[in-house]
Amino acid sequence: MPEVILKNLPFMLQGLATSLQISAMVAFGGTLLGLVVAVILYSRVPVLSAVSRIYIEFIRGTPLLVVLFIAFFGLPALFGYQTTAYKATVVAFILFIGAYLAEDIRSGLMTVKPTLTQAALATGLTHGQALRFVVVPIAVRRIIPTLFNQYVRLFKFTSVASVIGVSEFTGNAMLVNAREFQPVTILAFVALTYLVICLILSGIGRWLYARLAVN
Amino acid sequence: MAAAHKVNSMDNPTIVIDDVSKAYGSTQVLRNCSTRIGKGEVVVVCGPSGSGKSTLIKCVNGLEPFQSGSITVEGIEVGSPRTNLPKLRMRIGMVFQHFELYPHMTALENIMLAQVRALKRSRVEAETRSRSLLKRVGLEAKADSRPANLSGGQQQRVAIARALALDPQVMLFDEPTSALDPEMISEVLDVMIELAGEGMTMVVVTHEMGFARRVADRVIFMDQGRIVEDAAKEPFFAAPASERAREFLSKILAH
Repeated sequence: MPEVILKNLPFMLQGLATSLQISAMVAFGGTLLGLVVAVILYSRVPVLSAVSRIYIEFIRGTPLLVVLFIAFFGLPALFGYQTTAYKATVVAFILFIGAYLAEDIRSGLMTVKPTLTQAALATGLTHGQALRFVVVPIAVRRIIPTLFNQYVRLFKFTSVASVIGVSEFTGNAMLVNAREFQPVTILAFVALTYLVICLILSGIGRWLYARLAVN
Repeated sequence: MAAAHKVNSMDNPTIVIDDVSKAYGSTQVLRNCSTRIGKGEVVVVCGPSGSGKSTLIKCVNGLEPFQSGSITVEGIEVGSPRTNLPKLRMRIGMVFQHFELYPHMTALENIMLAQVRALKRSRVEAETRSRSLLKRVGLEAKADSRPANLSGGQQQRVAIARALALDPQVMLFDEPTSALDPEMISEVLDVMIELAGEGMTMVVVTHEMGFARRVADRVIFMDQGRIVEDAAKEPFFAAPASERAREFLSKILAH
């Protein structure tokens, strides 16, 4: 490994740890949010499904960086609370990826035959129980590849967080570059690291899909 | 003797369908359907496709709403907004044409789910009950198999076990053998015949006239959303009253 990388490895790895930590929290929070919104849309809950629709369209029509600025500058100014760059990033990314995950999960829910839900209801399960034990587990298993595609996306999003001062991987690497000025070596290391982690994530997705998928 | 018991039970029928009509938009699917089904009766519902048979039995457990008329099961009004449908449905087992087993669960888990979640049985009790039902339908060795690894006939037998697990008072069958390969039909019918022999109240939508001749007490013939004929088995097969039923029978028995 080139000396410039070795010398600055602890600092850059610290950034990578932050990126991974944010990604894990956002993957979890975003999936949860996406699931709730998807179920609201799928079940056509009055009022809430209109709100969900507006949320999804708003996010889809807004650049990630703008959502990040809104979470860091806009909302705290509007509602008068304090936040940190780290917290704002997690909130912004959950809101952002949650909208896409909601649409993915909803399309998964739509693949479950209505007669399967009828069969669950016929045994005396409530609508909520039929969703929780039958429809959602089947839908999620079917869209595992799509979910992991979103997780790969959001891991790369974390590089944007350096703009508001989060010490994540790309930001730390660029700080190193400002001192050392070896852009080719440093960027090659950065790009390769993202690539390897994304490949691992996709691999986990494929493994889970092979194990859990149902027809 | 059994017949006498059934006749008496009509004073207090298990299912009363009274003047039920249903439309999807401008398409009328059920027109003024009325019938009564006594405790322990086995009623076969037949008729051409699109005649409303499946819709009618799905109205009985409230899976399909209807616009007018009333249905009561053991005195409970199915269409009333005050009725606790999940609770009522535990008393009415249903078996579907395409089995509808939960694909992400094993056979055992399929049978256990509603026992644990709806009936609130303990897992141990539910598992014991499920295994004995699997044994009863001849599939004790398949407890840990997923539906994808079972044949159609095996899947349908698991589906019957799943419905029986809640100790229902009534069993509804919606064309239980029409999605099966011919060689698997009898393994499912055998389970149903046994069930009928035990006195289960059964409403069976089917084209299996052999089954009807053997175990049905009554045959209901439907056409274009109407109950055209509702007769005891013997007179129905000997000489159906309506031209439409005669035509249908001759077609279905011809092959």
